[in-house]
This record gives sequence, structure tokens and C-alpha cells, in this order.
Amino acid sequence: MPCIRLVNVTKQFSKGARAVDGLNLTIEDGDFVSLLGPSGCGKTTTLRMIAGLEMPTEGDIYFDDKCVFSAEKGINVSPDKRGVGFLFQNYALWPHMTVRQNIAFGLENMKWEKTKIESRVREICGIMRIAEYVDRYPAELSGGQQQRVAIARTLAPNPRALLMDEPLSNLDAKLRNDMRAELKRLHMTTGATFVYVTHDQSEAMTLSSKICLMKTGVLQQYCPPLELYGEPCNMFCADFMGNPAMNFVECTGTPQADGGIELKAASFDVVFHPAEGDLKGAGRITAFEGGRCVLGIRPEMVKIVDEGGIEGKVISSLPTGMDTVLALDTRGITLSAVAFGRIDYTMDSMVRFQFEGDYAVLFDKDSTERFALGSLEIL
Amino acid sequence: MNRKWNNVKTFLSKPYNILLILLLLSLTYLVVLPLFSIVKDAFVVHPSEKSRIGQAVGSFTLYHWIRAFFSNYSKILIWTPLWHSLYTSVFTCLVAILIGGGFAWLVTRTDMMWKGTLTKLFIFPYIMPSWTLALAWRNFFKNAVVGGAPGIFTALTGIAIPNWFAYGPFPIILTTGLHYAPFAYILIGGVLRNMDANLEEAAIILNTTKARMFTRITIPMVMPAVMSTIILVFSSSMSSFAVPQFLGLPVRYYVLTTEMYSTIQGTNPGVGYIIAILMIVLSIIIMLMNQYIIGTRKSYATVTGKSANISLFRLGRIRTPISLFVGLVVMCMSLVPLISFVLQSLILTDGNYHFSNMTLDFWIGISKGGNDYQDKAGILLNADVWNTLFNSLKLSFACAVGAGTVGFLAGYSIVRRRGSLLSRVVENLTFIPYLIPSMAFAAIYLSMFSQQRGIIPPLYGTFTILALIGTVKYLPMASRSGVNSMLQLSPEIEEAGIILGVPWIKRMTRIIVPIEKSTIVSGYLLPFVSCMRELSLFVILVTANNRVLTTLLFFYDEKGWAQYGNAINLLIIFIVLVMNFVVERLTGASIEKGVGGK
Repeated sequence: MPCIRLVNVTKQFSKGARAVDGLNLTIEDGDFVSLLGPSGCGKTTTLRMIAGLEMPTEGDIYFDDKCVFSAEKGINVSPDKRGVGFLFQNYALWPHMTVRQNIAFGLENMKWEKTKIESRVREICGIMRIAEYVDRYPAELSGGQQQRVAIARTLAPNPRALLMDEPLSNLDAKLRNDMRAELKRLHMTTGATFVYVTHDQSEAMTLSSKICLMKTGVLQQYCPPLELYGEPCNMFCADFMGNPAMNFVECTGTPQADGGIELKAASFDVVFHPAEGDLKGAGRITAFEGGRCVLGIRPEMVKIVDEGGIEGKVISSLPTGMDTVLALDTRGITLSAVAFGRIDYTMDSMVRFQFEGDYAVLFDKDSTERFALGSLEIL
Repeated sequence: MNRKWNNVKTFLSKPYNILLILLLLSLTYLVVLPLFSIVKDAFVVHPSEKSRIGQAVGSFTLYHWIRAFFSNYSKILIWTPLWHSLYTSVFTCLVAILIGGGFAWLVTRTDMMWKGTLTKLFIFPYIMPSWTLALAWRNFFKNAVVGGAPGIFTALTGIAIPNWFAYGPFPIILTTGLHYAPFAYILIGGVLRNMDANLEEAAIILNTTKARMFTRITIPMVMPAVMSTIILVFSSSMSSFAVPQFLGLPVRYYVLTTEMYSTIQGTNPGVGYIIAILMIVLSIIIMLMNQYIIGTRKSYATVTGKSANISLFRLGRIRTPISLFVGLVVMCMSLVPLISFVLQSLILTDGNYHFSNMTLDFWIGISKGGNDYQDKAGILLNADVWNTLFNSLKLSFACAVGAGTVGFLAGYSIVRRRGSLLSRVVENLTFIPYLIPSMAFAAIYLSMFSQQRGIIPPLYGTFTILALIGTVKYLPMASRSGVNSMLQLSPEIEEAGIILGVPWIKRMTRIIVPIEKSTIVSGYLLPFVSCMRELSLFVILVTANNRVLTTLLFFYDEKGWAQYGNAINLLIIFIVLVMNFVVERLTGASIEKGVGGK
């Protein structure tokens, strides 16, 4: 199993826009990496460059220590020599071939023996639970079955890495959930390196061992999902992850003697206590001089309490049974909050809330970069 | 009883029901009845056959059938022309597919140069009248064997052209094939362009060689398009008249259409009607085969994946030679014919292409009062030509208004009642004229309207019959586009008007028509352009009083007035190109995107 390394990879299409800009990325052996971002962020282009379907304008790509692409040295190993499997968004099953022929096609290309091909087809069909459809044509299968055939076709030649381009986006919600679980299990059993493109943050959260979040061709943050959720490096990352989205409150800050920062928002004041060990913030806190900043608060940090805290008006309450998403208005600032359990709130009623937890994020308003993580104390 | 009356009233209160009934009645009369009429005509004695059969005109006879199938003449009358028709059509398909498909592949899959210009020029022959290439071929390669001066090629090189090269199946196949090659390009190129690039990329990833990918993935994917190209080119070339007339006749190479023309114009029209029936039967067989093939073979949805930028096949060292070669072929198909018409319309003495032998007389010369080849006004000053041009435009206008209006209304009412028996019947009726080869259709109308029919006076020789047949023949074109566009318009849009109490006429003129503006315009303009370049539909129906440009060209050509013929041909091409340009500009539709066929 290889480790895939992209060094300074840039892709510029003829029209001038940079789809991918100076991307450095190392995908370790056995990782399940999601390339995540809004549409047009270059994630699919990145995947296709790894596969060899697209040629970077600049940069190098290595599989282990072997260079498979280098713009400078003029190396470009063709897709079939890279030993990767590719799963297309629309499956790209050949409509004029049966399931069996679709799966066997790649094996025939590799000059496998007939009996070996047959047993491999049988084996992989068993794993993907499509054994009873082997003689059908793709058009005679449901979306989920087609999906499984596509995976079977991709896995049959035992690729070293499996590249997937939004493979679940054409399925309905229920099936998508089932397939998610199946993919995660598949990753465990095959032990292969998975690279997975998606625009769905919850899919990336739930599946991957690492997320590579991109925006307009530039890598924003590359880390495990929970770290991305809890410690976003800028406002884009913070905003992209999580549903309902993070609350952003504009405020001005004044450093205090004890290392805290007093934050004045439109309708409430809080003290921000930087968390110990948040190295990123440490050096800069002292330099912080009454600057304008943005406070990021996850909805689940907004906790409804019986007394104390801040007063807010319930302007919407959306219970799902498992939890209830609230929108609270505090004189001009609207915050979303999540209350767990089976509760509902009357619209326009008044409630009180507090901030809990250590993962409040303070961003610089101008650069949108993160200053520090910390906890909040209401003044 | 009351309930039944109520049902009738409800039925008739819907305008589309009334439209469907009217269409049913008129199409039955104009499309179905003629089919019976032509069968009858194959069993009766016609005036010109009175003496040879020895029976009264109009009496029942089996003479035609016996003569056609069980006499010494049956080989000349039926079997040889049938064989020639099949033979040329099969090879025409082959030429069209190979050249059109090859060009499509080069354009969509390789890095050939000058793609933009070449594709525009490649479509050219398809927009021009079908005989354009045949006439150009004759201008270049005619030889002295048939009489007259040799063509441009011999004049330039001194090499004599053998008969097989100048006339007969070889040039017929080549010129017809080239005429329909753009059509193959449009269909196959469309599939190649819209084919999901992922399908090929998936194969690349799985280690597929170029050759294997081409034979196992690409070819099977374009197969449905190839099949429908074959069907359409085959039936079009079976019913083509002008090309075999121009290139086959000099060496007495007859196909079904030219044989039918000569028998209907000659002394035994009965046999001509039998040939017409034969052609209709053949074309129905072809259509049934088409349905069968489409029914069994899944036509593959060609939804484009997001990877539209598939890497092009690099031609490498042969890039320039191939581009030059393709450029040369395309030039020969598109511009060289036009140059030959210009040249041919300028020279004074046949076969001499020296500058001193050129004159503008055939365009703007003034007649000294005579009206023959030597002393005839140039076509731009000739009142006959102007009358004919005016007649052509009038006819095209009439057919366009007829076919366009009826087609739109038919599309509207068919879609509104979709699923009902009545709607299905009418839809099929509007499609029948498409199945009947033009000349056979003309033969039917000739047989049906040459005498008084009820309140309808004999129409032969009138402008009305031309307008009528044009309208009916182009109806499929217009109604097809009408149906397609109405299908995309949800009924709610009209129902919103109904709720507000807007009367039907107003709903049509203020809601439906404005929304469907562009399809309606193309529903009018496509028949117009097709009519301008139609020959085989009109050639047996026109008389000296109501010639159209195409039949005038045909007339001059039969007389051997090559210069006038070429000049008229240029005039037709000019009008057709201008009209096509206007259509494209106005609506985005164009001939090449039309129903296909002609």
C-alpha cells in the first residue's frame, strides 16, 4: 500500500482560473482521506490528478518514493500504470456489458487467466452482495446495485489505492446512509488507501480518518475530522463544518492582566479565557490590542439554563425528537442553539442561556484566521 | 341519454378535441385515402394505355402487374432498378458512415487542426440541395462518350474519363454518400461529444489498450447512432431522384425513382404506380426494422459526467498531413462544387475554360427576342426565371404556413390528449407522409387529383396541388417539433389561464404562442427551406404554367442548357443558404438539426 504525496501541485485550466493552487498533501498508507469543499474548490481535479486522468500544470506527485508525475522532470505515468482504482460519481458502468463483463473487463486487460478471472468475479460479487445480478445489464439494476457493481469493478484488480469521486451523491438519503457504513467497513477489510471526494461535510466527518478541506483551489486545513470540527484554523473551516452552523459574533476585545480577553459584542459582554496549550494563540494574545475580532460559538455550546446567563427570545424552535434546534434573539444578535432530548419551546417565549465548553474560537476579523481556542465567561 | 349528451358536450367544449377531429378527417382524406387510390390505380387502364391494353379507360385490368412481374420486361421495369436502388443505397450508407463517422471521431477525439472551420464547411453539402454534388461531379468529370464537350477535369489535364467513373453507380454512391456524410457526422458526433467521458476513463484506469477501448467501448456506444444513421440514409437514398437522374441516365442506369418517373411520364403509368407501391412497402419495412432495432437495443443515455475535458488523442507527426487531407476533402465537398457552378455558368463554348471564353451573358445578357439556348435573356433579366422564382417563393411560403400552422396545432392537441386513442391515431397519421418516398407521394397525388373528386375539381397542373402536397409532406417535420416543444410546456401554464376565464383563442395567442415562439418559427422556416430545394416531390406534378426553380433547373438540364442550369442552381443554393442562415440566427434551429431525412 502506498503513501501518496503531492508536492506543490498546481492545476491551471486553459481559461486561466487556477483549479488547484500550490497543494501540498501527504496521504498515508491505509488512510481514509476526504477531499472536502464547496463546488469548484478543486477537490475533484485533485483526485483526477492523483489518478492520472488530469495533468497538473506544476508540481510533483509521488506514490511512495516513486515519482508518478513531475512537471519539471517531464514524468507522467499513465493512469493504468499507477495501480489505482477510480470510482466515478455516475458509476460509469458500460451499458452494453453485463455486470460480469463489466467486472471482468479490467482483469482481462491484465491478461489474467480465465479461471482466475472467474473466481475473482465470484469472490468480489460475493463481497459486494451482487452475485445474483451478474448476468444483468446496468440499466436493469437499481441505483444502489449499480453503485455496488461499480465498486466491485473498481476493487476487482486489487488496486493499491481507491479513489472515489462523490460516489454516494446519486443515491437517495436512506441508501446513502447504508452505503456509508458499507464503505467504512470496506476500508477496514481491504486495508487499502481511500481517497474520497465529497461536498457533504457530514459524510466527510463520519467516514474519514483525515479531512482535507479546500477552498478555491487552496488547502485550508488537513487533519482528523474531530480536530477540524473543534479547532478550525479559520472562519471558512469553522463555518463549513457542522450543521447547524457555528454562530459568529462580531466584537471588540481588550486584553486583561490574567491573560483573558474582554469581548464586547452588540448585546452582551464576555471574557474569553484562552485554553492552555493552544500554542497558536499563545504568542499572539499578548500582542492583541483592542482589535476587532469574531467570536465563534458552536450551537451545542449554547446551553439553556433556568436562571443566570443571558436572556433571549425564541424566534424558532425545530424539534426532531432527538434534539431541538433553536434560534435565539438577544437584542440584535441571533444565535442558534441545540437542546438535546425531547423538548419543544413556545415561539416568542423568553429563555436564558449560557456558554459551555472549551472550544469557543476567537478569529481575527480581517484575516479570518484563528487567534485562540478557549472558554467563555459571561460578565 | 342525458348523460351521453353531456359527455359529447364536454368532449366538444375542449378546443383540442375539435382540432383532433378536424385533423383526423382531413388527414384521412389527404394521407390515407390516397394510399387506397394508388392501389386502385395499379389495377385500372389509364388514357395513355388505352391502345396497348385494348380496354376502356378506367376499366379493371391486371395488365400492369403481369407486365411488371411476369413478363419479359419485368427485369427492366422492376428487378434491375430495384437491385440498383438497393445496391447504391447500401454503399451510400457505407460512404456516409465512414466519412461522417470518421470526421466525427477526428473532431471530437483528436487534436486535428482547424476544427471550427472544418465542421462548418463539412455541414455545407447537407444544407445544399441533394443534387449539388452530382451536378458538380458532372461538371468536372463528364466525358465525350455521352455527347457534348468533356468536363473541367479533362479540359485541364487532357485525361479522358472512363464511363464508370463519370456516370453510373460509382459517382451516384459517392455523391449521395457525401451529401449524407454530414448527417452521419451530426448523429455520431453528437453521441461522441455527449458520451460520458467517465466511461472511457474507467477503461483507461483498468489498463485498457487504445485499440481494445475503441472496439469494446467506443464503437458499441455509438452503435445506436450508427444504426439510426443507416436507416435514415438508406431510406433517403432509396427515394432520391435527382442524383440518379443526373448521373445514371446518361449510361441508362435506372433506379426505382427514375424508372417510376419515366413510366409515369411515358406510356404506361400503371407500372409506375406499382413501383410507387413497392417503394412505400420497402420504406415501411425499413421503418419497422428501425422500430424493432430501437425496441430491442437499449439506447444509452448519454448524460455527461462533469469531466467534459477528456484528453484528446494526439495525432503527433501525422497531425498536419491528416488536417491537410481532411481540409482538402472538405473543400471538395463544399466550396469546389460552387466554383464549378460559377465557372460552368460563365463559359461560352462548352469545354473551353480559357478566360477569353467567359461571359456574363447567361446571367445578365439581353435577349434579341428569341427564347432558345443561343438567344435567351440571362437568368437575372429573364422574366420566366423571375416568375419561376416568385412561384417558388410563393409555394414555399404556402407550404410553410400550411405545415407550420397545422403542425403546431397538431402538436398542441396531440400533447393535450396524450394517451388517448384519438391522439395516438392522429399522431401516427401526421407521421405517415414521412414514410412515403417523395416521388411515390407525388405519384399518389397525381393519380388522386387528376380528376374531379366530389366537390374538389381536378387539381393537376394547379398551384393548389403543389401547395397541398408540400404542406402534407412537411407536416411531420412541423408536428414533430410541435409535439416535442409542447411536451416541455406543463399544462398548468394553460390551466392558470382557464381558471381566470381566458378564452381559448386568447390563451393560444397570449400564452402558448409567445412561450413557444422559437419552435413555432422554426416549424415555419424549416418547411420553407426544404420546399425551396425540393425536386422529386414536384417534378411530376408541375406543368409549364407553374414551374418552380428546381424543376426549371431540371428542365434546362434535360435540354442540355448547362450554363443556365448551373446559374439557376447557384441561385437556389444562394437562397437556401441565406434562408438557413436566417433560420439559425432567428431560432437557433437549422436544417441539419431538423427531423433529418431529406
